[in-house]
Amino acid sequence: MTRHVLSMVLHNVPGALARVVVLFSSRGVDVESLSLDPTERGDVSRMDVVVGLPAGRSPDQLVKQLSRLVDVKSVVAVADQARNQIGA
Amino acid sequence: MDTVTGASSLVRALEDAGCEVVFGIPGGAILPAYDPLLDSAKIRHVLVRHEQGAGHAASGYAQATGRVGVCVATSGPGATNLVTPLADAYMDSVPVVAITGQVNRSVIGTDAFQEADIRSICLPITKHAFQVTEPEDIPAVIAEAFALAAGGRPGPVLVDIPKDVLSATTTYTPALPVHTPKVTPAANEVRRAATLITSASRPVFYIGGGVVRAGAAAELRTLAERTGIPVVTTLMARGAFPDSHRQHLGMPGMHGTVPAVAALQQSDLLIALGTRFDDRVTGVLDLFAPNAAVIHADIDPAEISKNRKADVAIVGDCKDVLVSLIAAVRQAPVLTSWWAYLDGLRDRFPLGYDWPADGKLAPQHVIERIGTLVGPEAIYTSGVGQHQMWAAQYVGYERPGSFINSGGLGTMGFAVPAAMGAQCGVPDRAVWAIDGDGCFQMTNQELVTCALEGIPIKVAVINNGNLGMVRQWQTLFYQGRYSNTGLSTHKRVPDFVALAEALGCAGLRCEEKSEVDDVILRAMEIRDRPVVIDFVVGEDAQVWPMVAAGTGNDEIMTVRDFKPLFDEDL
Ligand SMILES: Cc1ncc(C[n+]2csc(CCOP(=O)(O)OP(=O)(O)O)c2C)c(N)n1
Ligand SMILES: [Mg+2]
Repeated sequence: MTRHVLSMVLHNVPGALARVVVLFSSRGVDVESLSLDPTERGDVSRMDVVVGLPAGRSPDQLVKQLSRLVDVKSVVAVADQARNQIGA
Repeated sequence: MDTVTGASSLVRALEDAGCEVVFGIPGGAILPAYDPLLDSAKIRHVLVRHEQGAGHAASGYAQATGRVGVCVATSGPGATNLVTPLADAYMDSVPVVAITGQVNRSVIGTDAFQEADIRSICLPITKHAFQVTEPEDIPAVIAEAFALAAGGRPGPVLVDIPKDVLSATTTYTPALPVHTPKVTPAANEVRRAATLITSASRPVFYIGGGVVRAGAAAELRTLAERTGIPVVTTLMARGAFPDSHRQHLGMPGMHGTVPAVAALQQSDLLIALGTRFDDRVTGVLDLFAPNAAVIHADIDPAEISKNRKADVAIVGDCKDVLVSLIAAVRQAPVLTSWWAYLDGLRDRFPLGYDWPADGKLAPQHVIERIGTLVGPEAIYTSGVGQHQMWAAQYVGYERPGSFINSGGLGTMGFAVPAAMGAQCGVPDRAVWAIDGDGCFQMTNQELVTCALEGIPIKVAVINNGNLGMVRQWQTLFYQGRYSNTGLSTHKRVPDFVALAEALGCAGLRCEEKSEVDDVILRAMEIRDRPVVIDFVVGEDAQVWPMVAAGTGNDEIMTVRDFKPLFDEDL
């Protein structure tokens, strides 16, 4: 497992969080921690997620898959902690 | 701004979105919407017999016309019956909008009668799902749903509307046009692709369904002819390049032709357009096209480098990509020895089949004759199984969109309702469903719909008495232990001719080679009702060639245990 930090901006609409979380589970992504915070703009929220991916799987694909979601305004893998082994 | 009910607003919004037909079944929660539907002069409602049929019909309509297909269901069980067709449309990137009724807003979340959280159920199988909470939002949501379904990589979109939102009084404000952002293929990537194409010695166009969705068949032909590069078309792209064209090597993959599979395996450059390196095409990924550089163009950036790393990645609509490539490729590569190799394979390993030893009809012959007699202007649909693979192999497709089948999900029961939907969209073309005896028993009730609504599809049931594809695997990998694959359809349970008549169709049967052409021609002459032909064929026919699951494409077998690419030094 390698650990990656994703920083996202989500539209504040019902179901947006569910869609993101379901994507993680359908694509076999381990969620280590997740936080959702309001922003000053009421219509969007900020979401930070730490995910674990199987060794050798880059977060790029995940970022692209998350970007496809209508209610995800933006998503970036903030820190490439690819060498940071979880539990190693 | 007019004062209307939410339901009228929905119908007007659908009309404004260009919707001309919806497939559905009413029920409590969606009932308000059915009242103004009765008065719509623009929208035809086709009353199906199962919501799964409505969903596949919407998909068949969408694939035959290139427009958005629409299905309607009530809350709870009506909505959950749409799950399979929505998953199917998601996998095959088909623009479908599903409208479901929902229980009243005040009782959502209380396990009310016929409440199902369809939006959550459909999360992983829709591009997006809306639940409308305010009646005045209806026009904008419908417009956005249509734009999302058709825009970018197409797919299904769900619109769930509570009953009280449909009954409420509101105002109708036509939606503003929805802007779908368009990506232009990056010029530098196109230039790099052009350089690779010009200098390749064993290039191949690996064409997927994206080329069909983009309406880019003409551009593909121009580039293919200008470069002389061989073309293979996947199951979802059959017809994107004419089968009769000299440069076409056929379908690659698990049941692909030897030249098509070999072209990918031996290639030094895959030009992959609108395709996703599906496991049924690649076989074991690590052994797929080991020496090839990859140009991968797709409208969905998430597909690029998902399974196979692309050396050149072009994000964009296949039509735009092809237009840019046509402009950028100035010189054709030299392919004399590549073609000599491929033509050699073509001569030595053409598609072929044996007649069953028991004297029964060969299913491949039946399908080949349908293709020949009905011709390339028709639309063909299929179910899932052996008959599907033979329909992909033995009908000659010349036009994009002329073969509509369930590729990604592999949904048995797709053929009949998809044919129904396709026929509604293109009433002037013949529409033939090539179905299996197993698949047909899943969705044949839609023939009632076809009979009553004047939708004159033809259904060729390739009746091999078995869940044939599963039986083939049992023959090959389970020592011929046939666990639960016999259907007794050769004992005439059900009797498909009698069943056809009971469903309001003409029923014909064919058991002899000498009758095949006659019965097809007779079916073509019947225009006042749908026709079902029970083709009783041998149960032991197998689909060849085959790349067994879990092996590499080099191990393609033309018949059991004969592996030309693996065993021979070519
Ligand atoms: C809904 C569904 N259930 C099960 C399967 C697994 N399956 C794939 S092919 C097949 C057999 C189909 O039988 P039939 O329609 O008679 O076609 P044949 O292979 O005999 O041509 C089965 C059961 C499936 N693809 N879809
Ligand atoms: Mg069968």
